[in-house]
Amino acid sequence: MGKEPVRVLVTGAAGQIGYALVPMIARGVMLGPDQPVILHMLDIPPAAEALNGVKMELVDAAFPLLKGVVATTDVVEGCTGVNIAIMVGGFPRKEGMERKDVMSKNVSIYKSQASALEQHAAANCKVLVVANPANTNALILKEFAPSIPEKNITCLTRLDHNRALGQISERLNVQVSDVKNAIIWGNHSSTQYPDVNHATVKTPSGEKPVRELVADDAWLHGEFIATVQQRGAAIIKARKLSSALSAASSACDHIRDWVLGTPEGTWVSTGVYSDGSYNVPAGLIYSFPVTCRNGEWKIVQGLSIDELSRKKLDLTAEELTEEKALAYSCLS
Amino acid sequence: MWGSMKMEKEPMKVLVTGVAGMLAQPDSLFGQIGYAIAPMIARGIMLGPNQPMILHLLDIAPATEALNGVKMELPDAAFPLLKEVHATTDITETCKDVNIAIMLGGFPRKEGMERKDMMSKNVPIYKEQASALEEHAASDCKVLVVANPANTNALILKEFAPSIPEKNITCLTRLDHNRALSQIAERIKVYVTDVKNVIIWGNHSSTQYPEANHATVTSINGERPVKELDTDDLWLKNEFINTVQQRGTAIIKARKASSVLSAASAPCDHMLDWVLGTPKGIWLSMGAYFDGSYGIPKDIIYSFPVKCEKGKWSIVKGLKIDEFSRAKMDAIAKDLIDEKEVAHSCLN
Repeated sequence: MGKEPVRVLVTGAAGQIGYALVPMIARGVMLGPDQPVILHMLDIPPAAEALNGVKMELVDAAFPLLKGVVATTDVVEGCTGVNIAIMVGGFPRKEGMERKDVMSKNVSIYKSQASALEQHAAANCKVLVVANPANTNALILKEFAPSIPEKNITCLTRLDHNRALGQISERLNVQVSDVKNAIIWGNHSSTQYPDVNHATVKTPSGEKPVRELVADDAWLHGEFIATVQQRGAAIIKARKLSSALSAASSACDHIRDWVLGTPEGTWVSTGVYSDGSYNVPAGLIYSFPVTCRNGEWKIVQGLSIDELSRKKLDLTAEELTEEKALAYSCLS
Repeated sequence: MWGSMKMEKEPMKVLVTGVAGMLAQPDSLFGQIGYAIAPMIARGIMLGPNQPMILHLLDIAPATEALNGVKMELPDAAFPLLKEVHATTDITETCKDVNIAIMLGGFPRKEGMERKDMMSKNVPIYKEQASALEEHAASDCKVLVVANPANTNALILKEFAPSIPEKNITCLTRLDHNRALSQIAERIKVYVTDVKNVIIWGNHSSTQYPEANHATVTSINGERPVKELDTDDLWLKNEFINTVQQRGTAIIKARKASSVLSAASAPCDHMLDWVLGTPKGIWLSMGAYFDGSYGIPKDIIYSFPVKCEKGKWSIVKGLKIDEFSRAKMDAIAKDLIDEKEVAHSCLN
């Protein structure tokens, strides 16, 4: 007896990230090897033929867990009955575009998608916003879908979290699976704060603090932070295209840990609706360290925040507060 | 505390060639398949969920920057099973001790290209890679050739790597096999997991022969032959065959680009089944160096139905071949012998 399939929506599915993401979902990377899925792929009308091509390929791959594919440009059809929504679609920043222009285009998109999800998604739908500006897009979505529980609306900072783990593992020459509990605070932007004050490494003699093993605070406060913050740009420089592989993979990690739970003693970074923890203003979508259990996340409380970190936490909060104001001004 | 640490398996070394793209075009076909397949391998889809791996990525010098881009993204994804990544343009270095080799790199046929031209570009590539694998790969290295002309590239590789067991050199027809399964599933309106045992005979090209005479569907009344459920023999002998043969072209028409997602997924299926074994009663299609079964000449790489157990494949024997099938299978064999002769002529 197989499980009932879960409906997973991917918006912007005809794009690069969507193309990397859908086979991962169909293989069980997002929800586990025993969970059948029905994929809903949504994109804009100019992408209809390409979207159909992706559907054809999903069929051609004969994925055992994939029980159906809906490929559509109709937002209602896309949202109907979905249990999980990965919002990859958005208006990317083009050369010469002002921040206000990008914001205003995305605010309209997320406002309309919020209504569609609110009206047609399954109850308790879990939402992950990937498209930038991720935090503020997620906030707009929350504001215009008031009947979706606010704790169900998140944005992706798991990519930055994974990048931080990767940088530490390269620096210390250890397996990335032996590094844990980095934190990405704040905005998925260049003001994010990658913090390893509480991160540890598994060694033959037990778990040791990253800070102790690296023994180079200057690097941790300087180059490490800059590398993680700017990694997206570095990938674009090398590939001539933005990160799709790692973004898609991190989206799977985010959902999987949320739905199936985080391992004991491990936390992950997620953009969530702030409740004022750590003196971060409430009412923003802000990235915090969380643990997950029984399909719910909880902010890890009580971590000590030193002076340097405090400044950085506040700086990224300020940026998010400005973005929120800018977004609202676009709505008037 | 060793007692509290799970004993992990030794990592397997997996080589992927042509990862970043031949001809240094960021949108080149093989670059894209490499980019799609790397995270699939890293997630355990090719080798199983408990098998750690070390990835060896190879491409030619003009693709160095793109290759480096893939190399950067892999650690960014923090894959638990991926223990190391080596990205290089040095073929000797990259073949060292590899247990699995996925050959995506090659020279695809371009519009207006003659068969001889395409062969003359691919033969030297596969000759060189054969030598490198022979000298440096692990002794039981399993090889899967994906780059077209897949069957003949695999044959050249076999001929110039005589100490790699001939049974270890295969080419991909699993994509076509998967496409055939899903065409039947759509036709009969069942899940693709309920269809099994189609066969792709012959060449991974538009002359391949997708055959459903022995295929079955799992239904509430048990397993029934596809032929019984789809009593329209005409569809199976015509549209079904054409659709599977031409599917690559249909994808290009829709996507304005070749199949990448499905072309990356199929090698994972091929290798996983080879390494971990096929479930009872299920067979798959694989191009390999066979033993003259079914009246097909030896000395070519031909796609047959196989079962896999304990890391070895064996041909499914004793299947009835009707007249219609016989004609098609023989025509493909002839075509592959022609290709072989053209390939050999390029060596002189």
